Amino acid sequence: MVENPAAPEPPGSVVPTLMAADLQDHLMTASNDLDRLQRLLSDATQTLMTHFHDASHHIHDVTRRAGTIPQFDASPLQKALLDLGGAVTALQFQDMASQLIAHTDKRLRSCADRLARDALADDGDEGAAVEPPPLRPNPVTQDEVDAGSITLF
Amino acid sequence: MHSILAVDDSASMRQMVTFTLKNAGFTVVEAVDGQDAWEKANSRDFQLVLTDQNMPRLDGIGLTKKLRDNPRFKSTPILILTTESSDEMKQKGRAAGATGWLVKPFDPTKLIEVIGKVIR
Repeated sequence: MVENPAAPEPPGSVVPTLMAADLQDHLMTASNDLDRLQRLLSDATQTLMTHFHDASHHIHDVTRRAGTIPQFDASPLQKALLDLGGAVTALQFQDMASQLIAHTDKRLRSCADRLARDALADDGDEGAAVEPPPLRPNPVTQDEVDAGSITLF
Repeated sequence: MHSILAVDDSASMRQMVTFTLKNAGFTVVEAVDGQDAWEKANSRDFQLVLTDQNMPRLDGIGLTKKLRDNPRFKSTPILILTTESSDEMKQKGRAAGATGWLVKPFDPTKLIEVIGKVIR
């Protein structure tokens, strides 16, 4: 935040210093929250994956053992494997969410840097490095976790 | 048994791809990005490469170009599995020599069907 709100506006600034500082503070808070969300997602996904694979291994193991038992009905185990397979599409959410968050985070940080450089710069700060905004549009355009298209060339 | 090189910088995606392919009877080797895949592709034979597009060091299209530049991989099917769905990116993939473009998330049954169509 600004230590001396009464300080003169930097030359060429179009945003009042106090407002710029407040905006930058909000942008950095949002960016930090996105970083935290990224870590939460990563942690939750790792746990989901561990349980997913454990369940899969247990089912395979029981299926293998059951194969030695005459007249054992393995169809519920096959159904359980199919159910696990059905979760595969939804479990890809972390990859898409992670890319979406990283892209948005980069955009927020770039805005915060520009504010700092253009509206809050002290003498000598004018050449401060600004993280460039993403050059390309966000690669994640999906609105839901439905299977995507397939194109063979 | 067919061997597939699965390339993605996301650990969760690699796990989902590997789970799906192994359940379908394929042998799977994982790579964490295009550069890692390039090194692994040169150390053993694969019947198919399934790669993400946006990755550090070397992306999917870059990997495809490198593989196609090598006569050894001239006819190896290369599928790009990515969140990118624009026609512009698809055309770049096609120009690089990719066999197909799959938009994430994938459906396990459809993925196996497509692999069955293109694998030799």
